[in-house]
Amino acid sequence: MESPAIVVTELRKVYGNKAAVDGLSLTVPRGCFYGFLGPNGAGKSTTIRMLTGLIPPDSGSIEILGMPMPGQEIEIKKRIGLVPDESLLFDRLTGAEFLEFVGRMYGLARAVAAERARALLALFELDENRKLIGEYSKGMRKRAAMAAALIHHPDLFLMDEPFEGVDAVGARLMKDILLDQVRRGATIFLTSHVLEVVERLCDRVAIINEGKIVVEGSMADLRSGTETLEDVFVRVVGAEHAYTPLDWL
Amino acid sequence: MIPAILRAQFLSMRGLRRGSSRRGAIFSLLIAAGWYGFWAMVGFSVYGVTADPSMRPLVEQWLSPSLLVVFLYWQLAPLLTASFGASLDLRKLLAYPVPRGKLFTVEVLLRVTTAFEMLLVLAGAFTGLLLNPIHGGWTVLPALAATLLLFVLFNLLLAAGLRSLLERLLSLKRVRELMVLLLVMALASPRLLVSAGVPLHRYQQFLSPAAGWFWPWTAAGRAMLGQDIAVGFLVLAAWAGGAWLFGRRQFARSLRFDAQAAAASSLREGRPRVGGMVERLYRLPGLFLPDPLAAIVEKELRALSRTPRFRTVFIMGFTFGLLVWLPLITGRSGVRQSVMTEHFLVVVSLYAFSMLGQVSYWNAFGFDRTAAQVWFSLPVPVSRALAGKNLAAALFILLEVAAITAVCLALRVPIPAARILEAFLVTPVAALYMLSVGNLSSVNFPRAMDPDRVSQGGGANRFQGLLFLVYPLALLPILLAYAGRYVFESELLFYAIMAFAAALGVAVYWIAMESAVKTAWVRREQIIAELSKTAGPVVTD
Repeated sequence: MESPAIVVTELRKVYGNKAAVDGLSLTVPRGCFYGFLGPNGAGKSTTIRMLTGLIPPDSGSIEILGMPMPGQEIEIKKRIGLVPDESLLFDRLTGAEFLEFVGRMYGLARAVAAERARALLALFELDENRKLIGEYSKGMRKRAAMAAALIHHPDLFLMDEPFEGVDAVGARLMKDILLDQVRRGATIFLTSHVLEVVERLCDRVAIINEGKIVVEGSMADLRSGTETLEDVFVRVVGAEHAYTPLDWL
Repeated sequence: MIPAILRAQFLSMRGLRRGSSRRGAIFSLLIAAGWYGFWAMVGFSVYGVTADPSMRPLVEQWLSPSLLVVFLYWQLAPLLTASFGASLDLRKLLAYPVPRGKLFTVEVLLRVTTAFEMLLVLAGAFTGLLLNPIHGGWTVLPALAATLLLFVLFNLLLAAGLRSLLERLLSLKRVRELMVLLLVMALASPRLLVSAGVPLHRYQQFLSPAAGWFWPWTAAGRAMLGQDIAVGFLVLAAWAGGAWLFGRRQFARSLRFDAQAAAASSLREGRPRVGGMVERLYRLPGLFLPDPLAAIVEKELRALSRTPRFRTVFIMGFTFGLLVWLPLITGRSGVRQSVMTEHFLVVVSLYAFSMLGQVSYWNAFGFDRTAAQVWFSLPVPVSRALAGKNLAAALFILLEVAAITAVCLALRVPIPAARILEAFLVTPVAALYMLSVGNLSSVNFPRAMDPDRVSQGGGANRFQGLLFLVYPLALLPILLAYAGRYVFESELLFYAIMAFAAALGVAVYWIAMESAVKTAWVRREQIIAELSKTAGPVVTD
């Protein structure tokens, strides 16, 4: 039987005296569009950074595509497509140069990398005037990061706020591509604050608060009655208090 | 408002320090102690001389020239070290309703950071003259203090104006490199005047206190010695007033300056041409190296050659670097034959190579900033990333040596072919040692560098000062080869020691690489955090 895409057990990461991730355990099945939600500072980005090996966990274990991290990190990285919250783009390269560079880093032959780079640039409408990435708008940078995550045709996508700053057309395109990837058997692990998008795309959702998973399940499991995902989110993170206006504002 | 800005900066710096490792903090502290300790000793020596009554004739002769040196250091050190010290980050502050006058005051006060060393020297002179019984003792305190204050104020105001002017000019499309060349010419102008046959004694007018009071350093020198105090005050006040007008005007123009447009221009300037000659050059490493190494070298070649800061330092290597050393081999009748002349190319190449360090190998991930995460998230070992960056730096170093050789030949500096070959041999061997140290410093002391801030270097003044102490140690095997050549007058011995130095260099490089890779993996979180840091309302270049 094929191993799950991600298995995380009792993962813990402490900064100073605050646990950013506190005994987190979750399993993401293969071929699943998985939403990983939480309020600001809940530990989402820290979790993704541990999954990609960018930061080491203090304790707990990570298994990705059946391989332990750390241990087989190079093999794992070859099969991951990463769209992080912060830019991983080199400003002084053009989009084409950057994508070709990333393709070659993943072991593609130069000609193949260059061909795929051209195709992705056309797909994401990034090929105008051979702009340097430093000249890109925020949305264009996200699209470039997404293109870079796709170039080696990965089995698993780890995406931190991939739609942030992307216009409606770009977001639609990205969603279509991601859904197509899931249909082809890829797994997507995504964080987003746009709950409507998560509600529409994801099969399963986990909500994390203060480093711990507070609820996990399929969309149908999570919602009761007419509740939206936003209602569930606000309820489970305990943020239902009413807004008290300030006198001077 | 000024306290709020300074407090925000203090909190930002505290935040930056809190995130740094203890090792880094101790290292920074040691460097600061060494650098400012040295200048405190200079200040103490100045005190010793100025306080000694028997030294009065010497002080009378050399006070004004010394003040000229202080002035030159204050105004030119930022250029020589490619570091402008701390300054206001106007992009962050312009959003708030802060009066321009207040911003200018803070900017002027921050100019202290470019030459705090000179304050230590001036403090030595002030104390010495005050305690010198011949000079007048405590009765001269008001005049002495007022003179020095005016001189310091003049320097601060002028430095603020120059900084605003230079930073604006250096941000403009295509003006950047031209500006560097003009500055080089300005710095070399005394040398050019001598070459043009202008008698050297003409310059003494600007230095000697007896020759006049027009210049700020002569006026200050005379007033400090109790001569023409009123005239000295007036002259210094006039200079300070002029500097204030200049500084205010330049600062106001910087406030109106559209940095974003300039940055966009600088990016457009670097926009590549499809299928051009340069593009083919970028792709050359791919013919000799396997991927991913070739891809990394290509990426570095492209990115660095499009980075204004890097290009500026590269050009300075074969222009300014050459002119700094040229006076040592030239006399009134042209180039002299000497040991220095014989090794001129090697010396200039090593100097230019050391200059390139601050924008390449000392802080290899500096320009990558947050994108440095790539090196830890791609399926490529960190050793490949470092090796690729080192290879790219080595290619630029060889290109720099070629450019220096071409300029030397154009200037008709008599360099035999053997010495040209020697420069191309010695520099790569030196590179092995320096890149080894660079790899260790890149993973232990990473620092984000803004490629659009042409004034920003890879380290603070004092860090660059420490590097000058590191060079002799790192270059010891090469120095031994030269010592062997001259003691035993044997070329064979020289090349034998160089071969040994090269072999040792490979071993050192390999060991340093192993250590750097281990450190990078263990410290990857801190490295990424350091490279992602942004400063407060004041930026330190």
